[in-house]
Amino acid sequence: MKIFSNKNHKNFIVIGCGRLGAKIANTLYDEGKHVIVIDKNKEAFQKLSSSFGGMTIDGDAMDLTVLSKAVNDENTCVIVVTDRDNVNIIVSKLLMEIFDVKHIISRLYDPDRQCVYQELNIETICPTLLVADEIQELLQQKDIRYSV
Amino acid sequence: MKQRVLLVGGKNKAKSLSESLTKKGYEVTIINKNYEDCEKLAENDLVSVIFGDGTKPHILEEAKARSIDIVISLMKNDEDNLVVCELCKKKFQIGKSVSLLSDPQKTNFFHKMGVDNVICDLSAITNIIEQQALMDKISKVTPIVEGVLEMVEVKITRNDIAYNKKIWEMNLPREVIIACILRESETVVPSGDTVILAEDTLVLITKKEQKKLAFMKLKGSDVLW
Repeated sequence: MKIFSNKNHKNFIVIGCGRLGAKIANTLYDEGKHVIVIDKNKEAFQKLSSSFGGMTIDGDAMDLTVLSKAVNDENTCVIVVTDRDNVNIIVSKLLMEIFDVKHIISRLYDPDRQCVYQELNIETICPTLLVADEIQELLQQKDIRYSV
Repeated sequence: MKQRVLLVGGKNKAKSLSESLTKKGYEVTIINKNYEDCEKLAENDLVSVIFGDGTKPHILEEAKARSIDIVISLMKNDEDNLVVCELCKKKFQIGKSVSLLSDPQKTNFFHKMGVDNVICDLSAITNIIEQQALMDKISKVTPIVEGVLEMVEVKITRNDIAYNKKIWEMNLPREVIIACILRESETVVPSGDTVILAEDTLVLITKKEQKKLAFMKLKGSDVLW
């Protein structure tokens, strides 16, 4: 899995070390990037592979002191994947407004809230929509038609 | 026309606010995501209560957010409050938003995000406690201009340094001014030559950091905190 091929990005911060966060962090680290993972639950870091050599910070990413520990320059790319949409929104916005971070990608569970992210200029990935598209694609491949 | 106020979250705060607001003639709508709280809040016949998560656009739609004049977000988590205010301002064009905030560090950030009034309950309460605890020495401290400046009332007694001195003699810090002197029932507008008498109440406007120093110049001790 290749997440970023852009050579300019060397530093990455992953906020939220769930299944997705850990997977992204492992992949980035294997690609030779500098990775910092933040989660408020220390045990979450167990999901990182044993070969992961990046930095981990246990703390609440909504706390400015925690963020300032992680963000060193504004060219850092931050991936915000905690399990709560509203937390993702505020963290993304804090990073944009206070730390001037330019590259932020945020996960959004509830497609209903998409409008908030759009208004706030946050780039989002919505798993629900992705899966729905994918399933529809599969259905088409198998030539199963919806009966209307 | 009646002004419409929307309260999002908060159990006791929403309850007492809705009571006083309906009494003042506002039309109050409450959104709460706890069913039992909703039942409790609905005891007041004048308010409409909606059971649901106020950070979701369709719930706000149900509350007819477009015709709301003021939104007050009272939820426990800062992130939820921010999302409510953002949705109300940007999606529903509500004119005024007020939000509770638990982390005082984020006050400026909330303002920057367009929340009109930010109330940090933690710092408000600690201010009041500080004030009450030091009641005998300072009768009142009121933060103004976002807490950068403070308005302080100081009562002068015969034992204080300032007693029987002219204002220029006290050498107060530059960022402290005596705005007014309350002498018996008269107000005196001070000049440099005004002499401070016993039982005068001085109203100071001071930078927060200079308060201690000013107090020392007036009272002769800085053991006030």
